[in-house]
Amino acid sequence: MHTDPIFIIASALAIAVLLASAATHKVRAPARFAKQLADYQLLPDSLVRPSARLIPVLELVIAFALLVPACRSWAALSAASLIALYATAIGINLWRGRRDIDCGCAGPDQAQPLRPILLLRNSVLVGLALLASVSPIVRDLNVFDGFVTVAASSVALLIYAAADGLLANSPLLLKLIGR
Amino acid sequence: MEGLIVSNVLLWMLLLAVAFVVMGLVRQIGVLHGRLAPAGALMVDKGVAVNEPAPQVTATDRHGRPVNFGYAGEKSQLLFFLSPTCPICKSLLPAIKSIAREQADRLDVVFISDGDMDAQQALIREHKLDDATYVVGPQVGMTYQIGKLPYAALIDKAGTLRAKGLVNSREHLDSLFEVEHLKSATLQEYLNSQPHTHDHSHGHSH
Repeated sequence: MHTDPIFIIASALAIAVLLASAATHKVRAPARFAKQLADYQLLPDSLVRPSARLIPVLELVIAFALLVPACRSWAALSAASLIALYATAIGINLWRGRRDIDCGCAGPDQAQPLRPILLLRNSVLVGLALLASVSPIVRDLNVFDGFVTVAASSVALLIYAAADGLLANSPLLLKLIGR
Repeated sequence: MEGLIVSNVLLWMLLLAVAFVVMGLVRQIGVLHGRLAPAGALMVDKGVAVNEPAPQVTATDRHGRPVNFGYAGEKSQLLFFLSPTCPICKSLLPAIKSIAREQADRLDVVFISDGDMDAQQALIREHKLDDATYVVGPQVGMTYQIGKLPYAALIDKAGTLRAKGLVNSREHLDSLFEVEHLKSATLQEYLNSQPHTHDHSHGHSH
């Protein structure tokens, strides 16, 4: 399958920024991330701390690799599997019925409980990452193509941030109206 | 062709602006939710009545020392009901500890839990609660009829239950002390008992 490079570069850029911002949140508050990871109860206690250090590094490496055309394809595939791995972690805890733990999905001020809709969110991200792994048709890119790529990925990121904010707000709203 | 490109650039710019505005709106709603949340610790409508003498009960803490609840004493008492299996309880522990430190001269904080002793020990080690008064046993929770966790109750010096409720955040905890100042059972009750100030402002504006 061949796709125009604009789609591929734009989705790679969006996923890269997303992973980089996720990694900075984790690097800035390592203790909080380690606690969130421990709350998921998937790793033995001795592995929680090393993994809490390793995951942000991994995210940063993938984010940078996504920006390099030569290794974009494998980086996109690893990003897709990383996000799918998060979805599995959420899925396992949903299945265990532990809905009240913090998702740890976005930033410090957006604590949100686990809900099935987070799986949908992650699958959209996996789809975007898989799109970034497709090899593009070869054509010359001019300045306008570059502009469209950057604009498209920024719009995607802003809409993602808005959708994520709505997701984080919805449990608070439900609490307010007393459900 | 030139016109199409210009129009396309313009559309992208406007789309970016719209996406930015939407994201800003969502963030503002989030901030509003954050401000609305501390409406007060949720009263569960059963158990001991607020502003009545707290039921008197004596339990032993994990070192075997007796702890009195509901008796008149030198300090107020904050009872924090928790369980090692409840993540929200753990997330509140730093807030409880800072309240205990800030108000050490007028407030005794007692942690009350029940269940497996090994899990309690792990919790105590993890959150450095070695010096805290930590009671393990169902007795106090049953006397105060605690059904949900994390729960907190505030008993004043005279042994009167001043405030109680389900606490999910630092703001909920603070609201317990707030209602002690306001002399109402809950923050909601205080707000309802206030004269309708907005009615007056309508009157003046005419």
